[in-house]
Amino acid sequence: MSANSVEPVAWDPYNPVYFKNPYPVFRRLREEAPLYFNEEHGFYAVSRYADVERGLRDKDTFSSARGGILEIIKANMKLPEAVFIFQDPPVHTAYRTLLQRAMSPKRMNALEAQVRAYCAQCLDPLKGTDRFDFIADLGAKMPMRVISMLLGIPEEDQEAVRQSGDDRLRTEAGKPMDVSLEVNFEGDAYGKYIDWRMEHPSDDMMTELLHADFKDQTGETRKLTRDEILNIVNLVAGAGNETTNRLIGWMGKELAEHPEQRRAIVNDPSLIPQTIEELLRFQTPGPAIARYVMRDTEFQGQKIAADSIMMMLVGAGNRDDRRFVDGDSFNIHREQRPHLGFGHGIHVCIGAVLARLEGRVALEEVLKRFPEWHVDYDHAELAQTSTVRGWETLPVFVGPKRSVSAPKPQPVAAAPEVVPNAPFEGTWNLTVKGPTGPQPTVLVIERAQAGFSGTQTGQGMTSPVHEVTVNDNKVSWINHVTKPIKVKTLFTGEISGNNMTGKVKVGFIGSYPFTAVKQ
Amino acid sequence: MPKIRFILHNGKEHIVEGDVGTSAMQTAIDNAVPGIIGDCGGNASCATCHGYVDPSWLDKLEPINEAEAAMLDGAMRVEANSRLTCQIKLSEELDGIVIRLPISQV
Repeated sequence: MSANSVEPVAWDPYNPVYFKNPYPVFRRLREEAPLYFNEEHGFYAVSRYADVERGLRDKDTFSSARGGILEIIKANMKLPEAVFIFQDPPVHTAYRTLLQRAMSPKRMNALEAQVRAYCAQCLDPLKGTDRFDFIADLGAKMPMRVISMLLGIPEEDQEAVRQSGDDRLRTEAGKPMDVSLEVNFEGDAYGKYIDWRMEHPSDDMMTELLHADFKDQTGETRKLTRDEILNIVNLVAGAGNETTNRLIGWMGKELAEHPEQRRAIVNDPSLIPQTIEELLRFQTPGPAIARYVMRDTEFQGQKIAADSIMMMLVGAGNRDDRRFVDGDSFNIHREQRPHLGFGHGIHVCIGAVLARLEGRVALEEVLKRFPEWHVDYDHAELAQTSTVRGWETLPVFVGPKRSVSAPKPQPVAAAPEVVPNAPFEGTWNLTVKGPTGPQPTVLVIERAQAGFSGTQTGQGMTSPVHEVTVNDNKVSWINHVTKPIKVKTLFTGEISGNNMTGKVKVGFIGSYPFTAVKQ
Repeated sequence: MPKIRFILHNGKEHIVEGDVGTSAMQTAIDNAVPGIIGDCGGNASCATCHGYVDPSWLDKLEPINEAEAAMLDGAMRVEANSRLTCQIKLSEELDGIVIRLPISQV
């Protein structure tokens, strides 16, 4: 893709196009701009495995104390100490040590039977179905039940709690997360349970936190405050739900796309642990980790000044050919090497053991019941948050692909189906076949008071569209683009079914064809 | 440079060399020895570099500190000669040390 690109590589974490498939641009970053600077959003990014690993290890240069998310670092906000993922030693060390005991490998692995029972609860009711959803039926349920059981949240309240966590970090397509509104580490969803647990101790983590002897960073041993416990519980619950949910979604997607590998696993389930590792490498649920630069440093022979923001692109490092042979291919049989899917260094995911356990057991239980499936892409949807990338919904058809491409189970006429023309309003994935190769954009059209309005996103920016006309199936609109150059573009297209084709006149530069598909 | 003999769970051996002062974990990673992950980068915070040190070498190692002890306490398949290999710093005295690796780090 990069061979004839003349545009310098650009990566905008808020551009839905890159979000949908960041890997072509990650490859270009590794090859063309291994130290990348994004002027618009004011951050550096490293993308080669060795650089990301080095950066995540160097906790003294690359601080977590201003947060690990771009928007949070920029907001320069006061973060509670107990949100220890956003702290440096010695504060981080004090809390992490406490939590590590509560989440030790021995304790997490002891939950296997319980995890398996939760998977069965999710999957058994689906027996005999011809379709299910990896997210709604499994990913959104099982990890939440596991983490809630660990913490001590009653089952009837679990769904509400998960929703509040997901919404907190969700971002609208193309927009940064609104830090002022959405980050609330003291979210009191758990407060009432903590108060209740004070009176009614059990063998869960909340009880343990209430009674633990906590040696804080000053060396003093004391009990945790209610606020500290609230921070920690929010953190553990959020991290434990969302990330594993995404892993399960990628499992559904990649194993549908690679049926021969899926069949190999069905024949030999001992391949499952390495399959989970390959999924974490190939589709890293948390692809970018941000750090604040404490002192002047260098990457790739170039200087980076103190007070900069550095994005560690673990999702790019995990595809680096320098580290993994043919990094952009999914191969469960590849040589086993450590990856950066859980991050690296002192902040490496504290729940990695639990995530690996949940991933392994989930896949074992899915394959026992459904050895074959394929994805219903017409109804699948990728979700965007500031921290994770993955499927919001991933419906699949059970069984091999060819049998379900047969007509759906409803009275079907023999005549070829005529797909009605989609209305113009909605979201179109629109690709301009420009002079430098295909330029993907996303066009969003809404009905306005008089006529239509909308936006178009591409080249790392979103701009409003003007003068929208709709005449039966013929449409046109104008978009004043500012990047890479300032120019007026006039699109004229014709809708046919769910597709649109047409031309875009780019100022005085020329006309180029485009195609679009309705989402 | 001191040598380490890693013996995998399947019996396969990897003899690797590392600089004095480098950890056994890092030496394994640098030489792509399978069976060691080292997620936390050498901070005794993940227990994915667990190894069994041949008993004849145990006295030559630095004693187990508080952080390592806490991790080993919660790790899987721990034996009397278990160590986190990130806490074993290579020295000339350790040249030839033998470390067996568990069936899995996770």
